Amino acid sequence: MTLLAELLADGALAAVAGTGFGAASHPPARAFKYIAILSAVGHASRFFLMTRCGVDIATASFFASFIVGLLSLWFGSASRCPMTVLYIPALLPMIPGMYAYKSVFALVMFMQHLDEPALAATYQQELLSNLIATVSTVFLLSVGATILIFLLPKKVYSLTRRKGNRDGITR
Amino acid sequence: MKTNEELKEIAHFIAEYATCLLGSGVHTSRVIRNSCRIGESFGVAIRMSTFQKTIVLTTRDQESANVHTEVIGIPALPVNFAYNSELSALSWEARDDRLPLDLLREKFHQVISRPTLSPRLVLLLVGLANASFCKLFGGSWAAVGVVLIATLAGVFTRQQMQRRGINHFIIFTIAAFVASTIAASTLAFDATAEIALATSVLFLIPGVPLINGVIDIVEGHAVIGFSRLTHAFLVIICITVGLSCPLILFKNSLLL
Repeated sequence: MTLLAELLADGALAAVAGTGFGAASHPPARAFKYIAILSAVGHASRFFLMTRCGVDIATASFFASFIVGLLSLWFGSASRCPMTVLYIPALLPMIPGMYAYKSVFALVMFMQHLDEPALAATYQQELLSNLIATVSTVFLLSVGATILIFLLPKKVYSLTRRKGNRDGITR
Repeated sequence: MKTNEELKEIAHFIAEYATCLLGSGVHTSRVIRNSCRIGESFGVAIRMSTFQKTIVLTTRDQESANVHTEVIGIPALPVNFAYNSELSALSWEARDDRLPLDLLREKFHQVISRPTLSPRLVLLLVGLANASFCKLFGGSWAAVGVVLIATLAGVFTRQQMQRRGINHFIIFTIAAFVASTIAASTLAFDATAEIALATSVLFLIPGVPLINGVIDIVEGHAVIGFSRLTHAFLVIICITVGLSCPLILFKNSLLL
């Protein structure tokens, strides 16, 4: 498969995932198309960073999340939705599910082999490394998009305001 | 200048507004900003402290310096981003158009009484989302099919139990157990069973409180941020417990 086809497939699956998980948080109807695009762009850019640029999952998540944040600022202005309404559902497909699962699996196996020191140590190490990967990825994922709130507070805070009033003049 | 009665009315409205937002998954700084904006439109200063279950709200008339303080409980509402968008827009409208309190209250109730997506549609969308997640992680098509069924069963279980008002943590444990046990059926015929098992419970991950918790903490609202993360962490423990049951039962076939 060519790179473009891979990215498109990855993005399409992520779009379904983002929209579906987003639906559980009841966003306004007009937000759905933006959530789908953001999920696709976010996951595809992380996929690109990880497979082509050799970036680790946590760092790649951070940059992908930053891109999602930037786009959500633009989309938020178009749809009069706060950024978080658009970017939180779009970040959900990037939650590192396999690492989370492997942590649980290692925990279960560790408890099952408590009296066999060698095996227990292996599972303990596996638990720790998977847990660190999960936690740091989730943390950087949430921080990446949130940075925009610090960089451009004025713009971020007034997305839901009617356009004519956004120049800051108050009546 | 506001009479005490007017000040109280404004405080009541803002209390209802702010707790509704906090309960439905909006990060703290936005709630405070929106509430202050509405207060300003009436010439009233708003100060509030936010905790996991309550807020302490003080309204102060900027001319007479009269003060009214209330402690209000935060209801446990389902996450609703439509509230986040529409009620934030309402706060700007209040400020830009100087809406009177009666009209503001009417508009607020209009927003919160709007119908949400039907539970069946949510069921289907979440099922498809989890199935595509499975494919994203490299699962085979058979695994994708099983995950779809497992998720539908899991979400259905959760919705039914939520309707009966069963404890939140029990709901998550049982839903995780149902979904992962069904997904474990892939062990009999599929090489990507591990991926199916891993993805089957992902729809339960409390993504909104996790991300909101981090946002709150980095914005300096550490108390409520950590409360949100603590809650999310407890939910994740429940998912772990539910998922552990099939793992312990079938671990031998997973190790092969």
